[in-house]
Amino acid sequence: MTISGLGPHGERAAPAERIALTETDIAAAQEARFRVAIVLHTLSSDWAKQQIAGIMATFGDCATAVIEVVDCGFAPEAQIAALDRLRGEKPDAIISIPVANSAVAEAHRRVSKAGIRLLLLDNVPTGLLPGSDYVALVSADNFGLGMIAAAFLDPRLARGAAVGVLSYHAEFYATNEREIAFNKWMMTNRPDVTLHVRKFDNIQAAGSDALALVDGHRDLGGLFVVWDTPAMEAVKALRRAGHVLPVSTVDLGREAAIELSSDGLLCGIGAQQPYLQGVAVAQTCVLALLAKQTPDWVALPGLAVSRDNVVESFQKIWRKQAPREVLVSAKLVTDHGGR
Amino acid sequence: MPLAPTPPNRGKGRPTTRESASASLGAILNLIRLGKATTRQELERESELGRAVVSDRLATLSEIGLVVESELGIASGGRAPRLVRFRTDLGCILVATLDQSALGVGIADLSGRLSTEHHEAIDLGADARSISDRVVSLFDWLIAKHAPTMPVWGISISVPGPVTHDEETLFLEYTPSFLPAWEGFPFVETLVERYGAPVWLRSSIETMTMGERFSGAGQSVRDMLFVKVGKRIGAGLICDGRLHRGTKGAAGLIGQMPVQAGDRTSTLDALAGSDMIAREGLLAAQTGRSPLLADTLRRGGTVGAIEVSQAAQAGDPASMEILGLSGRLIGHAVAMLANMLNPDLIILSGTMAQTNDLILAAVRETVYGESHPLVTRDLIIGKSQMGSSAGLVGAAMVAIESLFDPACLKDWIVQASPLAHPLFQSVRQTCGERKTMAMARPAEVPGIPAQTGSAP
Repeated sequence: MTISGLGPHGERAAPAERIALTETDIAAAQEARFRVAIVLHTLSSDWAKQQIAGIMATFGDCATAVIEVVDCGFAPEAQIAALDRLRGEKPDAIISIPVANSAVAEAHRRVSKAGIRLLLLDNVPTGLLPGSDYVALVSADNFGLGMIAAAFLDPRLARGAAVGVLSYHAEFYATNEREIAFNKWMMTNRPDVTLHVRKFDNIQAAGSDALALVDGHRDLGGLFVVWDTPAMEAVKALRRAGHVLPVSTVDLGREAAIELSSDGLLCGIGAQQPYLQGVAVAQTCVLALLAKQTPDWVALPGLAVSRDNVVESFQKIWRKQAPREVLVSAKLVTDHGGR
Repeated sequence: MPLAPTPPNRGKGRPTTRESASASLGAILNLIRLGKATTRQELERESELGRAVVSDRLATLSEIGLVVESELGIASGGRAPRLVRFRTDLGCILVATLDQSALGVGIADLSGRLSTEHHEAIDLGADARSISDRVVSLFDWLIAKHAPTMPVWGISISVPGPVTHDEETLFLEYTPSFLPAWEGFPFVETLVERYGAPVWLRSSIETMTMGERFSGAGQSVRDMLFVKVGKRIGAGLICDGRLHRGTKGAAGLIGQMPVQAGDRTSTLDALAGSDMIAREGLLAAQTGRSPLLADTLRRGGTVGAIEVSQAAQAGDPASMEILGLSGRLIGHAVAMLANMLNPDLIILSGTMAQTNDLILAAVRETVYGESHPLVTRDLIIGKSQMGSSAGLVGAAMVAIESLFDPACLKDWIVQASPLAHPLFQSVRQTCGERKTMAMARPAEVPGIPAQTGSAP
């Protein structure tokens, strides 16, 4: 699968083979016994858990110790405090998802200045540069994910339809890319469609923002939300208010998978592969610690998930059985009610 | 350089301080803006103006909103001084880089700091209108997301080739020649009309050099040589802290220099650029001289300059030889320039230079071997760490340096916005008229194509 987007500084994506570990690399890492800390935006989402699983499995093979996993709770202050504290622990590397832009840029820069290798997941604060401020960014092809979401909505839209775009207010590389790609796909392939954008500040506000978008544009024929958790807030709010319109989004969370499989409002999802992204960032980290050349940006392609392939996609992405509700909808098991 | 109309004086009596003191106002504003002075005492010392004059000019600058004086600094005995700060949020700068295969956009504050940037693939060979529409569409998105209420003070665009001009002007009122496919397309006029802000066009070498000068390795040097290695090889030159553009804006086209490799004589572009690297790499793959590249071909992959570069970095002898040759040829040209210019710093940039260490090593070896010892005694040769961001940051600095150049600043400072500059007012009107004419009577306006399709 090809990568549609470019990196945060215009880099071309490096293929995953570029960061594959050889037996010699693994043996060298096992000998070195590196220490690594992980700082994530949250630990409660399925996405974060799968990233951690991919990281842990790879580091386990390399005898690399994870000395701490920090949950920042989406708070820049918590992330700055965690990074500053971890510098004192002097790990060989830190893997981090910057939860904001300029607010956390300096704290990340201080990590590299302290001689600790910094690997970023999904976001790069503006101004931080690969090579000098961080080793590499590992992310999904977020531009491609936005295009997948647009293509899912396309057949549901009447000619001349209006479409709502619920975008994230915060400055975040991944969500920016999805929004821009969605808009571009629509402008290129459906120039008859009019887009109406509204930004939500936090996940809890996404439902009311979706309703405001529908109320402000009564002719809305579809909605795109930049990731699944706020998308599900929007779906619930729309359903409560009696609105029926197709919604597409990014990331195959549990709730989103159930909604998609049950022929609900969700009509399609562009899904990341968080486990493989976890593997990729751990491999890149090991290569950097072994002083091997690493690419500035490693990107993994997204998956197009529809009602037809939601079961196998769920298994592929989450490496576990799909929720029972999904299996029932797919008529793979019998619904005994309430189970 | 055309002179801007002089603002009319008051009908009676002496002109106000604002009208008569624009030069000293500008000098003080630039000291504050560039961080050379942050307190009244420092301003008096750096500007060599008296206390009363500094006090008066600061009061004026505060009154018109260009600076704020509030925070307390560190006391050096006695009362702590108030810190003066330039308001970098008064306006924003829209920036874009047009490359053969990629479009980058960003939005910066008045210090040149990017709030965000975005890059996507394009084909610059496509029609000019569709790319111009895409730039406008992304600028609209940036404004809506980052500066919905902030005025655009300038737009700066980086383009692949040199931007030629017959005479230096403060503000562009038509699109200068920069690429054959864009000849006659009213790009500058479109942007001026839509955003009501002045537009600058510079070559990618010039903007990347400015980016490296202000935000990269060149921040603390006076003289720097910036060399971009790609399909074309070009150089940017910082002399005494300022970008040297040349009489026609075409300085640094070193890719045109004749060089010799074995029995072949051609231009540096032809014998050391990425086309040569890709061609020789493919040949090495097809003949089996490079097992690594041959394997790439066998697996259905393509062999281009990037693949050769990656193979060289992985230790493939044939690829290392190809890049070594490219680096030595570039090194000969750079050594000649180094002997002539005696820079503090030489920075290599571009995909070819940044994806491997071999070109850098070969350039270093050649430059150190062929230059006078005095030239190389403290000379640093390195790779850019800024990637494509250098072009965006540099483009922002092109606009900011132009807006705050004393020759431009003196005619807008009392209005507190460059959009009120009398010359820009007339440029804006001209651009609007040219655009209107193009829409109304496309066939009768030479060089301006008809408008087609809907506005983004």
